[in-house]
Amino acid sequence: MVFQENATLKQKLEILSDAAKYDVACTSSGVERKGGKGQVGNTAAAGICHSFGADGRCISLLKILFTNECIYNCKYCINRCTNDVPRATFTPEEVCTLTMEFYRRNYIEGLFLSSGIVRSPDYTMELICRTLGDLRGKYHFNGYIHCKAIPGVSPELVEEAGWYADRMSINLELPTEKGLQEMAPNKSRRMILTPMRQIQMGVAESREYLGMKGGNQSAYWYTQKRMGRSLPGAEAAAAQRNRLSCGQGDGDCAGQKMTPGSAVSVGRDRQEEASFVGCGRKGKASSGSCDRQEEASFVGCGRKGRTSSGSCDRQEEASFGRDVTGIQRGLSLPSTSLTQWDKRDTSRGFVPGGQSTQMIVGAAGESDYEIMAVTEALYQRFDLKRVFYSAFINVNQDNDLPALQGQPPLRREHRLYQADFLLRFYGFRAEELLSAEKPFFNTYLDPKCDWALRHLEQFPVEINTADYNTLLRVPGIGEKSARRIVRARRTGSLDYHALKAIGVVLKRAIYFITCNGKMMYHFLKIDEDYITRNLLENDADVMKGFGEKVTYKQLSLFDLS
Amino acid sequence: MDKPVRVYQCDNTAEGILSAVYEAGISGYGHKYIRIEPQVKGEAQNIALFSEYISVESDGKKVESVIDAVRRKISYRAYTYIMRAAISAFADRGDAIYQFAAYGFSMGDKVCSALQIPWVKRIFEIDRAVANETNHMIEFLRFQEVQREPSLLLAVFEPKHQVTALAAEHFADRFPDEWFIIYDKAHGEAAFHNADGRWEMRLLTRQEQSRLETLSEQREDYVDLWKAFFENIAIEERRNGGLQRNLLPLYYRKHMTEFKE
Repeated sequence: MVFQENATLKQKLEILSDAAKYDVACTSSGVERKGGKGQVGNTAAAGICHSFGADGRCISLLKILFTNECIYNCKYCINRCTNDVPRATFTPEEVCTLTMEFYRRNYIEGLFLSSGIVRSPDYTMELICRTLGDLRGKYHFNGYIHCKAIPGVSPELVEEAGWYADRMSINLELPTEKGLQEMAPNKSRRMILTPMRQIQMGVAESREYLGMKGGNQSAYWYTQKRMGRSLPGAEAAAAQRNRLSCGQGDGDCAGQKMTPGSAVSVGRDRQEEASFVGCGRKGKASSGSCDRQEEASFVGCGRKGRTSSGSCDRQEEASFGRDVTGIQRGLSLPSTSLTQWDKRDTSRGFVPGGQSTQMIVGAAGESDYEIMAVTEALYQRFDLKRVFYSAFINVNQDNDLPALQGQPPLRREHRLYQADFLLRFYGFRAEELLSAEKPFFNTYLDPKCDWALRHLEQFPVEINTADYNTLLRVPGIGEKSARRIVRARRTGSLDYHALKAIGVVLKRAIYFITCNGKMMYHFLKIDEDYITRNLLENDADVMKGFGEKVTYKQLSLFDLS
Repeated sequence: MDKPVRVYQCDNTAEGILSAVYEAGISGYGHKYIRIEPQVKGEAQNIALFSEYISVESDGKKVESVIDAVRRKISYRAYTYIMRAAISAFADRGDAIYQFAAYGFSMGDKVCSALQIPWVKRIFEIDRAVANETNHMIEFLRFQEVQREPSLLLAVFEPKHQVTALAAEHFADRFPDEWFIIYDKAHGEAAFHNADGRWEMRLLTRQEQSRLETLSEQREDYVDLWKAFFENIAIEERRNGGLQRNLLPLYYRKHMTEFKE
């Protein structure tokens, strides 16, 4: 191993930003916090990108590893212990100075701190906590902090980091448990899901006692609420809270806004109770009715495959089942209450920006269907803000990993992100987009067009009368356009010119809509082959940004199915 | 009945345009026959036949009167549309503001969503362009420490629209204890922020402008560190210049630390 003993700050920064670049999430969103005298910084709920790198990815945060030394040997990772790469470690002061000085110059929106694992997960997390504690306390940094939780870390340290950070994330790494076992032998689903559950409960608890603190609910949550659907995760959390607070009795604090002072005592009471419940009826109470409900819904989703499938599907189902159990085991994980109310600065709340995760796509042979099902489960049960996908790049040329032909699977990653947005903003369910019989997205058509073509019976949609949720399902109409349509038509009916002004992508939408009963051109047909052909021919940028020259004309329709 | 078009000529400033909107508004002349033309210095005028030309003096009272009427009779949202349009650089912004306000006085707040009306659509586009540039400025502005003890930060930017005040508000909240200057090279004005939290916008003299430009040519150590980070954070296998240009237009790169030599 090459150690950079006397590396300069610049050399360290080079090594440790290079080592951090494979992490996807560089978002600074989810918290709106004003600045104040004696503090440096504020945060914007929408997040602010400050630059865009040569790969077109946004640079919002100073994304670095604390150290790239690591005791683990994950096959996909450039920093695994068996790799011969230059190693470096920051000191907490160096990270703080870099963050502050970059921030003052408006280079960045804050810090994204992750790390390789030195000695043990706890030792590493202690270093991270010390750095973040200094940044908040000594340097009075009030900007955005995104912090990684290390798999297998003890709950006290997760909590401490959570009081400093705006967002936390812990990487799921691979969508299937089997994949994780093969690729990251030192990690297990449980090590990953335990902190995730703890953060989820902590966020809920902090929101209950301290308020939102400028944070917001996830887009998925808002969408489900709008559609009148229930969220198993939220129900489970509420049920758990009810169980925990039932002993509290006196309804005087229920429903009232608490001061931080009272929150401290309540927090402590609750902690006691939690541990009481924990030892008393742990198994039964925390994996009781609500879990069973989830189980039922998941089993239902898995069964669908069986009813219509032959022998080859069963294999898939089996592996899918393993993931399901992986996440379900996650559900019966112990959830810890916040215990450090009086030790920490609670003015920012606990992880006010919520948590995210990421997984690698294309490394372990998983299907899009599995990925989407896992994504949906994470949104529902772990109340994640975002799930990120990272196209697999074979940095280690490991024998167990697929060799890449040409580029990383960027197009697949793109389709997954599109589908992810359909889940979070458009109210689609994973099973509507994919199924065990059709486990992969269409490469040539985006998931929404693909869905619409399979459901032509629901089209055309009349722009001047259709409700918001129906409009959202039309290809070419996004969340903003749908909102503008609904508002604009209150003052008069809309025609195709107005739709253009509103921002509807007409080249996609015209096959699926009518304005005042008329389609845009009389010759348009609502016919799957006809629309597919036209969408592909007219949409010159189906492949935009993927660097691949594809001639659509050579396609025959047989290639598309 | 056909009437000659009335053209209100005014200063090429937000104040000038709103003064002209005021004059046009109280004239009671049909909306259809009113044009508002801000006069750009040094640019030849296009005089149309059969039109009446009226010259309007800028007047703070007229501006206030327009703003007050919009906020009372239409809505706060309409007011933000109009103010953003007024600081934009589009030649037709005067007409857009006048016609939008005319619809607004009869429709109320609903006018803001009525995108099927061409002038509303136009002011919506203008508003979006100005808001986008404000965001770009907040994102891409780069400060340099040009003096220590006390520390002074200086940023240079060339926005197309006059959005510096909007962006400065954001930075004033972000850095309440810093001395900083945001210099808008395109419009020759700057925001000055004091360490006590107060700040002001001011037009600059030629000398002041050249002094700021000289100051901004220094190069400090953090530039190298930032460039090193910027180079290393990109993944070679995913290189995509087109996407980068889409999200970070070349126009804005000339004052950005990471793209300077």
